[in-house]
Amino acid sequence: MSRAAGAAGRGAGGGGGGPPGLAAPLRRCLPGRGRAGGFWEATLAPRVLAAYRVSLVTSLVAASLNAVFGLLVAWVLVRYRFPGRRVVDALVDLPFALPTAVAGIALTTLYAENGWLGARLAPLGIKVSYTTLGITVALVFIGLPFVVRTLQPVLQDLEAEIEEAAASLGATRWQTFRRVLLPALLPALLTGFALAFARAIGEYGSVVFISGNMPMRTEIAPLLIMTKLEQFDYAGATAIAVVLLLMSFALLLCINVLQWWSRRQAA
Amino acid sequence: MSIGVQGLAKRFGGFEALKNVSLEIPSGELVALLGPSGSGKTTLLRLIAGLERPDAGTILFHGEDATRRDVRDRQVGFVFQHYALFRHMSVFENVAFGLRVRPRHLRPPEAEIRTTVTDLLKLVQLDWLADRQPSQLSGGQRQRVALARALAVKPEVLLLDEPFGALDAKVRKELRRWLRRLHEEVHVTTVFVTHDQDEAMEVADRIVVMNEGRIEQVGHPEAVYEHPATPFVYSFLGNVNLFHGRVAEGRAEVAGQEVAMPDWAAGLDRDAVAYVRTYEVELAREPNGSPAIETVLRHVRRFGPMVRLELDRVEDGQVIEAEVPRARFEELGVGRGERVYVKPRSARLFPR
Repeated sequence: MSRAAGAAGRGAGGGGGGPPGLAAPLRRCLPGRGRAGGFWEATLAPRVLAAYRVSLVTSLVAASLNAVFGLLVAWVLVRYRFPGRRVVDALVDLPFALPTAVAGIALTTLYAENGWLGARLAPLGIKVSYTTLGITVALVFIGLPFVVRTLQPVLQDLEAEIEEAAASLGATRWQTFRRVLLPALLPALLTGFALAFARAIGEYGSVVFISGNMPMRTEIAPLLIMTKLEQFDYAGATAIAVVLLLMSFALLLCINVLQWWSRRQAA
Repeated sequence: MSIGVQGLAKRFGGFEALKNVSLEIPSGELVALLGPSGSGKTTLLRLIAGLERPDAGTILFHGEDATRRDVRDRQVGFVFQHYALFRHMSVFENVAFGLRVRPRHLRPPEAEIRTTVTDLLKLVQLDWLADRQPSQLSGGQRQRVALARALAVKPEVLLLDEPFGALDAKVRKELRRWLRRLHEEVHVTTVFVTHDQDEAMEVADRIVVMNEGRIEQVGHPEAVYEHPATPFVYSFLGNVNLFHGRVAEGRAEVAGQEVAMPDWAAGLDRDAVAYVRTYEVELAREPNGSPAIETVLRHVRRFGPMVRLELDRVEDGQVIEAEVPRARFEELGVGRGERVYVKPRSARLFPR
């Protein structure tokens, strides 16, 4: 169910074709069937609202981090030649290839209080596993390739001469980035952000291990859907999914409008 | 502003792009760096601009050491072969860029930017395209925008890297003439890189011929063409035929012909290479007594006032190119596959 929501979200990010499977859950929730009260009950329960919040906030933070660091990674991979560049380039795809459950278990092991990274962070008072920070870490891992792979071709297409031209006209490095490079990269950057965000909203496998799934605190919406399904509360699960879907739609629509606007600026 | 270059060297990995190059460019001159690809001409230009750092040597602007000065502070306008326009900005904003990025206290007020940019667009005859995006312009128009953009910062030196290389022949010819006129108008020291000898000849006050990271010859276009200093310059400027000969006791023997070489030291006895321009070849149907090279006519290309011939030397199959006026060719009356006797009218010899 959670995968379906994620896939539908990605479909919207890719171009806006009607997501398959939307009609069935919607029909189940139509007021005509006398279940309207049940719908709101299922979607407005405090535990559900908390889960939406966790999902939305961690996804937005993770996608934003990915936009920044994905740009850096793409930049380094395109503009610099260093030993091991091809290996790093191949590693970017790792989150695509790795089963998400494996990624989740690996991250949990790394960041657990007795894990490699967790043990070093614990003395600093930073706890990653079983917190929203852990969820964000997992979502960053899963979303990075989306940003890197969308930006790479655009960066490749952007000649280094553009930067040299700006420098010869007296622009500082920052002015060159802000006025020349960023406007050219913005449409691709937004696309990468949207893809990473859509993936994060629907992500399940890599998150459930590291999040600890504490109700009201580290429980994500897709997990709640699973829980409802296991309790045979199909209507409740569907209701949560529908809201998640609508949120994804709304956000992706915003991003598409932004993209359309920034493309028009760049055209 | 005058430019001085002393003992400049640059290598990229294992490739020596520039080897100990020295050059003086007087203020206000229009200079062409001419050479084949890989000759180091673009590297020299980029070093002058400050886009690369030299491994050795100094660059002087106005007699002042500018070797370590950053591109931003060099006051150079640089024009790239592929324009390097900012795609997301209008033509107007492209030209205004250099003024808008100045620190606040040096930035001219908006009204002044507007007049400066409009004047520059008028100068390049594109003021009617100010609101267009670069993608809506033709190649020639884009390069003119790039030029206006470079001029906007009032550069002391204008540097152009193969500025017309990406344009078609007709536009290229127009822009050459136009660059010449522009230089007469703004009179800023200008250096441009080209591999096209016609372009260099037509536009520049002085030509710097480069080869394999070194300067072969510097001089006025006519002087360089008439008196090439090295075999390379001879073969690079214009079409030439190459003959192997021998020099002995002040006389040279080229292709069976005796050529007097009074300026060669007596007693010098060595192999030499003779260069003969394609239009310095005499053709005849009969050997007429004197020694001549026996050839067979292979190809005839008639266009313009000259007829170009390709001749195969009978002795060793060497291809000899010749250019003769149309009338002379008609008079000769030879067809393809017929015998023609070739005599070099004059030759330039270089010892081997």
